[in-house]
Amino acid sequence: MINDTTPVISVKHLTQRYGSGRIIYSDLNFEIPKGSILGLLGKNGTGKTTTINILMGYLKPVEGECRIFGEKITEMTPATRARIALLIEGHVQYSFMTISQIEKFYSRFYPRWNREAYYELMKKLHVSPNQKISTMSCGQRSQVALGLILAQNADLLVLDDFSLGLDPGYRRLFVDYLHDFAKSEDKTVFMTSHIIQDLERLIDDCIILDYGKILTHTSVDRLLSEFSKFRFTTTDASPLPDDENLINPYRIKNEVEVYTFKSPEYVKQALDRQGIVYSSFRKQEMNLEDAFIGLTGKY
Amino acid sequence: MIKALLFKEWLKTRQVFFISLVVTAAVSAYVILMMARLIQLKGVDHLWLIMILKDNSFVDTLKYIPTLVGIAVAVAQMVPEMAQKRLKLTLHLPYPQFTMVGIMLATGMVELLVIYLLQLAAIGIYDSTILPSELTWRVLLTMIPWCLAGFSAYIFTASICLEGTWKRRIILALLGIAVLFTYFAQPALEAYNSILLLIVIFICLSVILPFGSIIRFKEGRQ
Repeated sequence: MINDTTPVISVKHLTQRYGSGRIIYSDLNFEIPKGSILGLLGKNGTGKTTTINILMGYLKPVEGECRIFGEKITEMTPATRARIALLIEGHVQYSFMTISQIEKFYSRFYPRWNREAYYELMKKLHVSPNQKISTMSCGQRSQVALGLILAQNADLLVLDDFSLGLDPGYRRLFVDYLHDFAKSEDKTVFMTSHIIQDLERLIDDCIILDYGKILTHTSVDRLLSEFSKFRFTTTDASPLPDDENLINPYRIKNEVEVYTFKSPEYVKQALDRQGIVYSSFRKQEMNLEDAFIGLTGKY
Repeated sequence: MIKALLFKEWLKTRQVFFISLVVTAAVSAYVILMMARLIQLKGVDHLWLIMILKDNSFVDTLKYIPTLVGIAVAVAQMVPEMAQKRLKLTLHLPYPQFTMVGIMLATGMVELLVIYLLQLAAIGIYDSTILPSELTWRVLLTMIPWCLAGFSAYIFTASICLEGTWKRRIILALLGIAVLFTYFAQPALEAYNSILLLIVIFICLSVILPFGSIIRFKEGRQ
């Protein structure tokens, strides 16, 4: 039974490994509600693209169940696929088609096809409708892929590393268009990107993956208000803080930085308990990228 | 939707289709010209004698053309799908996935059928003007297994292209070579007459191979 509260994406007890070797993650669980713009963040090799491949039915997981619009992904019907717009890593499209051919091709498959949305974006590229996609730059190809996604007018957008290979201008264009579209039409977006600044402008919620597990699944606002970065000066000889709530402490000469979900008082007490002499203790402003580094570490 | 899928397949294969058509037509024209020249020099009786006594069909030059055409069409059709794993786009289209793959394969095979029928028609029509119908059919029945080899070459090449793992690609390639070898193992004219139907059944059954490759692609075996 599907109703309004049914999550758009539901992942339960998902386990995946590389071939028969290393576990990528085990017992992964998350849900994405309707209207959410969620970014899946993680270092290389943590399983972001793997997760998208599983969700789109291009990879059989070792264990677990994934549902999209309440439907098991292994039994996804064409009608459900019509509700999902997919952007493959690298903005891959049918490069043997021209700008107009690809629009004509896709328009036959999607009942809510919005031709104007596609051509509005194409106008900005100053390319001829007869230009082959294979002859376009990576940035231009990304706009073709975006135009097709906007024209499809799907309920769920799945975007795998949309910023790959794009210069800052095209990245900004992509983010702005996508943000307007998703917000005005109440779309659900599930995306990955290796450039976190881009995601910060776009996403409401994030899942941060580490090797084998989810580190956090929360809203960006909540993460940035509850997770903090503290910095203090100490001596070369003093040890780094050793407390399970003080995450990824890092030293550059006499300066130590540490991340935590705890209060400044908690951090100070932990330093005192360990006998670490410090001065210039201060909280530092953080963006999403800082929070990501704080949670996953620099290495 | 079917029209859109056919359009996509046509875009990928039209160049190779026309090149194949031109090459096949050129080689067929060459064969016809050689026969015409022989008739001009030594008379049609001489041609008949050579065909009957020396078991010569005069179309040997065409022997491997259908196989090469089959391989070329399959490569033109399947390589763009597998480059950058573009097949994901196709399988994501809101249309039954295996029907889509079936349409892709059917398009390629219809293109081959058109080329092969034109080739058979060109040789058949010319031969019928200079040979008795028994000899014309002898030539055509000799050529038909070569065309069937073309369909097998297409199916195996498509499977290899769609296959994600090198191990299976190699297995399919070796199997394909072995199958193709059997089409050319008997040099005698009309050597395959008694098993033509069996060959057609085998080709129909082997269509399952590309579908197996698709199933493995969907399981992520790459």
